[in-house]
Amino acid sequence: MSGLSSLEKVLGSKELLYTLLLLSVILPILHPLGIPVEISQRTRDVYGYIEKNLRSGCRVYIEVYYEVAARGELEPNLIALTKHLFDKGCKIVYGSLGAFGVVAFSLFKSMASDLFEGKEYGRDYVYLGYIAGGEAASASLAKSIKGTISVDNYGNRLEDLPLMREVDKATDFDLVIIVSSGTDVFSYYVRQWHTPYGVPLLFAALSVIAPSIEPFVGAKQAVGMLVGQRSAAEYEVLVGRLGLGIASMDAQSTSHMLIVAFIIIGNAIYWGKRVSSKKGGSK
Amino acid sequence: MSLVVRRHIPQLIVTVIIILTVAFYYLYINKGIAESFTTADKALSDWAVIITSFALIVGGIDILRFHLVRLRKEGLKQAPFSAVTIGLLVVMVFFALHGWFLSYADPKAGITITTQPQFRWLYLNVYAPADAAMYSILVFYIASASYRAFRVRNPMALLLLVTALIVIFGNTTIGGLIWPGFLPLRDWIMTVPNTAAFRPITIGAGLGTIILGLRLLTWREVSWLGRRE
Repeated sequence: MSGLSSLEKVLGSKELLYTLLLLSVILPILHPLGIPVEISQRTRDVYGYIEKNLRSGCRVYIEVYYEVAARGELEPNLIALTKHLFDKGCKIVYGSLGAFGVVAFSLFKSMASDLFEGKEYGRDYVYLGYIAGGEAASASLAKSIKGTISVDNYGNRLEDLPLMREVDKATDFDLVIIVSSGTDVFSYYVRQWHTPYGVPLLFAALSVIAPSIEPFVGAKQAVGMLVGQRSAAEYEVLVGRLGLGIASMDAQSTSHMLIVAFIIIGNAIYWGKRVSSKKGGSK
Repeated sequence: MSLVVRRHIPQLIVTVIIILTVAFYYLYINKGIAESFTTADKALSDWAVIITSFALIVGGIDILRFHLVRLRKEGLKQAPFSAVTIGLLVVMVFFALHGWFLSYADPKAGITITTQPQFRWLYLNVYAPADAAMYSILVFYIASASYRAFRVRNPMALLLLVTALIVIFGNTTIGGLIWPGFLPLRDWIMTVPNTAAFRPITIGAGLGTIILGLRLLTWREVSWLGRRE
């Protein structure tokens, strides 16, 4: 049984696992495997909702609430959703209840500059910037955006922007999308936008926080949810703009498979040692 | 007098705000009163927005004060970290104020706080990589922990492992090549057993919030005043 113990010792070394993990992430990015992405029913449902319910000229509010650490997972979702909404002829008002959202929006806009070509700021889209106050700010925005803030992120008076003359309160929007790395923000919008005004909500969340906000989707307080990198890749395929979401899927697959392999081998060693010890072998 | 100013007046303000907020949200007498309630409710929300904005300034000053004290009182072990924090805080505030000044002095240039070149450079090249690296390092710990923790020692551990494997395979494209059923099975796990587990937690948190509100209303909750009961 010394063989199993030696193997366990080798696999248990953090250096080996970390090195293999690093390679399993980097290599597929440098040399993509091109594994086809199967589209889940949940992502199809989100796509179908927008296709069915939003018409040209519709108004959508998007909450941009993620820091740069979560950018890899959430920005591809935001880009794919924006592409879909612009293709449908929707007008978009972006806002951020977190200070980091301002830079996240700026990076998103530079990454998806092609989407904004031909779109006029103030008429087709507006960015309100950071609005301090958390849930209280969310409640205030739902009642009146112009009553809460008077200028956008760039110092333009909201009254001077054509799009902001069309919208002011929660019920003026056909859909509200929350792209967030924090759990609380989803609750804010459920409590302050959906419950009192019945505005449809759509979530785009990190994989790690998606389970905790799943009850809102189950209770129909949100029309659907896009979860992490996988949903971003699927949505990119659906809207026909392949980007960072699909490019990262091979790396996600190989790294996950590596972890699965380690778990299986670890269990095989554990049970091998346990069986042999019962038979009277060395421990 | 001190007790009244430091304890009773803040508690009285909180009590009045709670009663007003609940009344504005739930009470309906007639349309006219409802409209005036909505206006007053909006004013309360706006106050919260304004107070939070000022709280950010107070927070910044407090961080500065805390690290200045630490720099003076503690030895060389902590001093470098406090010095870096103070240095970056001052530099970022300086460039942010410069951007804010330009947004009014030269609006046509389109420069604001976050688009001020030096502020943006520091954010994107110092803060952003550090933030992303901190988050990315988690993957190594998770991988190491998964290898050590997922041991099938009993039937419950086996159930946990099988569930985890289904979700892992469902989240990867390779999973679909192995068996197409992983994806719908992952969705079922997320929407049915996961929701069943998380819904009581959500409801419990809601009930906890109500109890906290009642404790604030009856002056039993004093931790927000910086005191223990």
